[in-house]
Amino acid sequence: MSTVLVLATPLVIAAWPTLTAVISAAVGTLGFAVSQKAVPQVRQVRDAVNRAEIEVEDSEILEGTGATGEEMVVERDGIRAVFSRDARGSLKLCLEGRDLSKSELKQLGEDLIGRVTQQYVYHRLVSELKERDMNIVEEHVTDDQTIKIRVRHL
Amino acid sequence: MDHEELEIEIDAAGKVTVRTIGIKGTRCLDVAEAVARIVGRVESRQLTEEYYENDVQIQSHVDQRLRRN
Repeated sequence: MSTVLVLATPLVIAAWPTLTAVISAAVGTLGFAVSQKAVPQVRQVRDAVNRAEIEVEDSEILEGTGATGEEMVVERDGIRAVFSRDARGSLKLCLEGRDLSKSELKQLGEDLIGRVTQQYVYHRLVSELKERDMNIVEEHVTDDQTIKIRVRHL
Repeated sequence: MDHEELEIEIDAAGKVTVRTIGIKGTRCLDVAEAVARIVGRVESRQLTEEYYENDVQIQSHVDQRLRRN
């Protein structure tokens, strides 16, 4: 019996509608909920709010999917996180909130991006493995939020 | 009967670890890398002791046949 470990850095390549479904599922694990309110174009109290921006380099939102200008807003306890497609086609996340410092917002943003990536990878793997006649025989989430799945060739 | 299985871990940051179970010979590396490539770039590979033990068993088998001849 042979054993091998292979580590991979994920690349998020998806159409915007796919990505919004993934974001909706992922942010819930950190207590965020999708906001139905529009993003205000002019803010009344700009100076009172801290902000942090993260661009996900290993990502590509596919063109031709109505992504231009699209945004998705999620919120938790006065913290607002806006996912969008930047000019280069990468996924961008902007966070703002009054009660957290810029570095705390940045860390929270990294956590959010991590969960979005995790959910994207999970759904992509599961659908691809099913197409390759691999069947999930065991699945669970550990205390550190790692998803573990065991698949078997049919 | 041995099953060919994969153990896949996706951590909270999205990093993926693929481990093969019951896949014989060097094909286990091909299978693990193919799965890893579904979601991204292969970053590193680690061949465990079992991987090398398999090669030793093959060598031992060949030696026995030579002695009988």
